Amino acid sequence: MSKIKLNLNRRSVLQGIGAAASSGPFVMRSAMAQGTGDIVIGASQPITGVFSFAGTAMNNGLGDYVQWKNANGGVGGRKLRYVSEDSGFKLDQGVAIFKKIMASDKPNFFYGDSTQWVKAVAQDVVTSNSVMTSSTSLASVVADASTMPQHVVPGPTYPHLHEILMEHIAKTAAAAGTKPKIAYVYSDTEFGSDGIPGGRARAKKLGLEIVEEIITKQSGIDVTPEVAKLRRSKPDIVIFQGYILAPMPEFVRQMKEAGLEPQIMGTAWGLDRPAYDSLGALGVKLTGVSAYSYGHETTSPMINNMRDYLAKARPDLKSISPFYISAWMSGMLFGEIAERTIKAGKPLELANMKAALESMTDWDTGGIVGPKVDVSGHQIPAGRVYSYDSAKKTMEPASDWIKV
Amino acid sequence: MRTGIFHETFKSDERMWAVPAVRLWLLIGALVLFTMPLWSGDYLLAMACIVGIHIVATLGLNITTGNAGLISLSHGAFLGVGCYTVAWLGHRGVPFYLTLPAAGLSTACLGVIVGLPSLRVKGVYLAIATLAAHFILTFVFREWVSVTGGVPGTTIPRATLGDFVFVGDRRNFYLIYGCAVILAIAARNLARTYIGRAFVAVRDRDISAEILGVDLLRTKLQAFAVGAFYAGVAGGLLGYFYGAITPEYFVLTLSVFYLAAVIVGGLGTVLGSILGAAFMTFVPEALRLLVNASAHWFPGVAGLLLPMGQAVFGLLIIVFLVCEPHGLSAIWARVRRVIHLWPFRT
Repeated sequence: MSKIKLNLNRRSVLQGIGAAASSGPFVMRSAMAQGTGDIVIGASQPITGVFSFAGTAMNNGLGDYVQWKNANGGVGGRKLRYVSEDSGFKLDQGVAIFKKIMASDKPNFFYGDSTQWVKAVAQDVVTSNSVMTSSTSLASVVADASTMPQHVVPGPTYPHLHEILMEHIAKTAAAAGTKPKIAYVYSDTEFGSDGIPGGRARAKKLGLEIVEEIITKQSGIDVTPEVAKLRRSKPDIVIFQGYILAPMPEFVRQMKEAGLEPQIMGTAWGLDRPAYDSLGALGVKLTGVSAYSYGHETTSPMINNMRDYLAKARPDLKSISPFYISAWMSGMLFGEIAERTIKAGKPLELANMKAALESMTDWDTGGIVGPKVDVSGHQIPAGRVYSYDSAKKTMEPASDWIKV
Repeated sequence: MRTGIFHETFKSDERMWAVPAVRLWLLIGALVLFTMPLWSGDYLLAMACIVGIHIVATLGLNITTGNAGLISLSHGAFLGVGCYTVAWLGHRGVPFYLTLPAAGLSTACLGVIVGLPSLRVKGVYLAIATLAAHFILTFVFREWVSVTGGVPGTTIPRATLGDFVFVGDRRNFYLIYGCAVILAIAARNLARTYIGRAFVAVRDRDISAEILGVDLLRTKLQAFAVGAFYAGVAGGLLGYFYGAITPEYFVLTLSVFYLAAVIVGGLGTVLGSILGAAFMTFVPEALRLLVNASAHWFPGVAGLLLPMGQAVFGLLIIVFLVCEPHGLSAIWARVRRVIHLWPFRT
């Protein structure tokens, strides 16, 4: 939900009513929300709709970061202010929210809900010369400093995640003296297919054999014919990409019935609690590359801060989703960019903020991503392999942080 | 009090807008519309642009479904065809005044192909046939990477006219509403021609229409072609407005959105298309704003209120359809009648 601080005194209310009376309902909030000197982060979040399970976590993650940062002194002596609205994961609505918040709150940073949102607002953002954007999207197409100078990806891109995974497979196979056969099962969405060419190329380079590629819809899939293909190719490793949970459990169940017990792997959002819990219940040890440390880990100071904050602010929360951490990370990126720009004595304009971002070659994420990372390429090209621990019922590190 | 229109000449009878009062209101409406970028806020203008694009697409579906009675669930995908045509031609330096008609024409050709099953099936069977076309087209959008950019999508170069670049909502507004006005007038005119009347005849009873001399094959395909043409142009405008597009935009719910707009607005009328598109775009947005405002005052129930906006929107549509099955245009007609006959009651 929006975390707008309303200064509701008589004057501001009268100003608001006057503005509404003269110009309609659309400008009422603008009259009430200006002139604070805060650093404003706008957001178009999918709080309802098909992506609401992630949108709620993202909205909480970014909003909580702002609260936490303000409680710890803000940025360069200035407070952060978070303004978000529900996009319903619809492009039209997301773009309308962007225009609305741009007009009413003059944000310095903006967080969007999808790749197509990032692309749709790109021209307006560049033209405004006053905003940088981030998003939950890890698509390679938005991680390009030359074509998307206004955008920063809060993690590695999907191709990078798959490159890291292939490196890990090659390393463990070499140590074990095996030559595993790999099968890809991925959805026909960007989330599913964007990383595959990168993984395929890295596998070829490392001499790993991909014996099967199965492309499915994201939901409503008849798994049986696909499992039949896997029975023929008999892979040692099956990498799922583009699914949060379904149809992974059904695939695993049917593979087990068919006598197949390959190692199940995945990346990023496919390694969240619903996936590792349900696959763990089937006796599967899910392994994969995560862009961030997990919320239960105690080695990362920033994750500890996050957990401490959540214990007070959201005591009912059972686990910290990677979507929450991703949005928190975007907030950290925004905060750091603003801090560096202000320290340099420059106004928060796109060119200055871009320069600040590109100066972050050795940035400490507080352990959310490894020790130090290079964000100058408008992304965080590092990840870590995690594996399910059936005793602890959590994902535990299976490698060190790998940079690509 | 006005009780009717008495035409003394054929010219008067053939007029598109019958009485001076209507012409005056249209003139005022046009003035308000075309000065809107000068007085409107950025947000309202962006919403107006989105509504304008939806109006063009809804006009097209209203011709196919409302006038000719042919249900199409591939309309959303037709927008995609138009959008990708504009993108592909735009990257080759073709100006917008050629890309937009080309988008319309290419989509119309495709509409003819998609409309072929209408010769053998109608009603829900035709809906399923067009649904198949939707899935085929969305598959093509994802897989024909060299043209569509595949899943990551493609960019659309800005429309230019000499040195004038249609960048930003204020400029795109004129491009969108210029097209919308031309196409709305064309749709209105079409209804008065042989083709438009043939559409209605086919819709009301196709066997009778054939006995009367209407060529069913040609008429049904024309209905699909014209509807698809509008969708193609709307898709092109969508591309110019956003500057980038991915296949995720052209999902089945987009076709359902337009079908709902046609039904809510009123089948077979231009006004219905405009009101339907505006209703379907503005009402959820207004509800969302209302819910957001409520969430500030009642933060504890904000999580419940947000999804409630969608439920209220669904209920509103049901209430409208129950109270006035002929849509918003019929409600508007009733309001006008009440005003004309006041103080007497209809």
